[in-house]
Amino acid sequence: MNELIPLMVIVPLMAALIISAFSKFNKATKIFAFVVAICLPLIPILSNYGLHYFGGYAPILDNVTNVVYHPAITYSFTFLQQIFIAMIGLLTFLVIFIYLTKYREVSGPYLFLLFLGTAAVTAMLLTDDIFHMFVFFEILALAQVGIVAASSIDYSYEMALKYMILGSIGSPIMLLGIGFLLALTGSVNITDIVAAVHNGLVDASSPVFLTSLGLIFFGWLYASGLPPFHTIKSGIYSKAEPHGAALLQSFTVISMISIVLIMFRIYSSLPIFEVLIVFFSILAMILGVSLALTQTDFRRMIGFLAVGELGFIGLGIGLGTQYAITAGLFQALNEIIITALLFIGFGAIVDATNEVDTRKLGGLLAYHPKVSLMLLIAGLAMAGVPPLSGFQSKLMLVQASLNCGFPEISILAIMVSIATFVVFVKTFYVMFLRPKPQDLEVEGKDVPRAMIFAMGVLLLLVIVLGIFPDVVVNGISNFVGGIL
Amino acid sequence: MKLYDQIFDVVKQFKKLFSPGPVTNADVSGSITAEIFLIVSLILATVLLRHVSVLLAGLVALILAIVLISNIPLIPKFKIEQEDSLEKMLFYAVVTLSIIVVFMYWGGTLV
Repeated sequence: MNELIPLMVIVPLMAALIISAFSKFNKATKIFAFVVAICLPLIPILSNYGLHYFGGYAPILDNVTNVVYHPAITYSFTFLQQIFIAMIGLLTFLVIFIYLTKYREVSGPYLFLLFLGTAAVTAMLLTDDIFHMFVFFEILALAQVGIVAASSIDYSYEMALKYMILGSIGSPIMLLGIGFLLALTGSVNITDIVAAVHNGLVDASSPVFLTSLGLIFFGWLYASGLPPFHTIKSGIYSKAEPHGAALLQSFTVISMISIVLIMFRIYSSLPIFEVLIVFFSILAMILGVSLALTQTDFRRMIGFLAVGELGFIGLGIGLGTQYAITAGLFQALNEIIITALLFIGFGAIVDATNEVDTRKLGGLLAYHPKVSLMLLIAGLAMAGVPPLSGFQSKLMLVQASLNCGFPEISILAIMVSIATFVVFVKTFYVMFLRPKPQDLEVEGKDVPRAMIFAMGVLLLLVIVLGIFPDVVVNGISNFVGGIL
Repeated sequence: MKLYDQIFDVVKQFKKLFSPGPVTNADVSGSITAEIFLIVSLILATVLLRHVSVLLAGLVALILAIVLISNIPLIPKFKIEQEDSLEKMLFYAVVTLSIIVVFMYWGGTLV
């Protein structure tokens, strides 16, 4: 059933276009969006692993050099892609479900952007073609800008514009790096490029090859929101609708891992590559958590925490061993789930109070006990408290850095987890436990059931992955063994 | 006594960090945590330089510790630098690109 592989991209892409074209039929649009959203997590689960060659152009064997060339754009579907695409599909379904139940009249362009973003990250995960990856990276950037601009939050336009301006620096620089690679290897197929590098056809110490790494790396920093782009990333999360922010952060995590895995395959022979990743990951962890500690806007606080958590993912990849990369990818999966849960949960609080300043909140435990309990567990999971999923991945990362001979990194990772715990204890106290300020008006309305449902599903995943991490860790480890 | 006054002054300066609006105990304790976390983690990160040279790691950690502690509070300065100003974001993007170029120029010989 390898025909299903391209459908993972085509279905959300076509849905986006159809919804955009027929959005004036409100009820039909709602039903169609709901049905497509249900299909998104099912397609990767039903599909078999394998390769898909667009146009049917199978690889060609050069009998003289005994090298295999890939003329077609190739999609590669393994366990890693399956688990991440299914997770993105599930999250898209939950976000669209929340959106459809929240508004009586839905916006076609907004749904278009949500589906377009999902299609773009799915393609980035699947593709074995670096230029194809870049095209969808650009589409994703535009979808992200649109999702932020379409929200009804103050200054969202301004933040979206800033993100676009910074993107106009990051993206062309990455494209230039890809151009250098093309010039060196004569191919944009990643497997072909990797073969050229490993067979010695490309001099790994040549200035052009090193420059291509520097340029693509800079583009990756923009895509993943690592410093210096951490401020704008946390900014766009805080200016998007909460359910939109939940999806945006997952887009960031997926684009981060898909690009870094490509870079890893091409540049892993250069020690400087791993040094760079570790350097920026540590910087992200330190800056993200320290800035989260000083925030009074809780949406911004989660934004900075999300950036700090990205550092953990980078750390795993940067350490470069099979165990460390597995830990990093498992952390990525956990971050997608936990951060989405936090954004949706805190979004429910914004809905109920119309307030985002923690100094003006308090006593919400009595009004929203279910939401507060789920947020508490999510916060503990992010901080790495056992037996939740965040604990498992962070423990693996600490063990991995110890095994690699970097006890400082282990200590730093534990310190960041403790600081994350402090952020949640502080926020939970001021929002839910301390007496309600007299001037705070808590609207009597209940939290939408769709939000409770979405939080429940995500919470279940956090607990299940915490108790049975092997369900995904073994598969990820096998994938990593294949690329090393 | 001078260091004590300096630390006490830090708490006072946090007021500016949260203006306009009230400053709560939770905010100040969060900021102090951030301050300590920032100093300790940056110094800890420099210890990684021991993989290049133990002497270099010791020297850098010592100098950084003195510089950071004598410049407290760091968080208000950090926060000003990390605000949503496009100029600052662009500036740091250019600085980062320069750092990567430096890494490539000198670090490239590590391959």
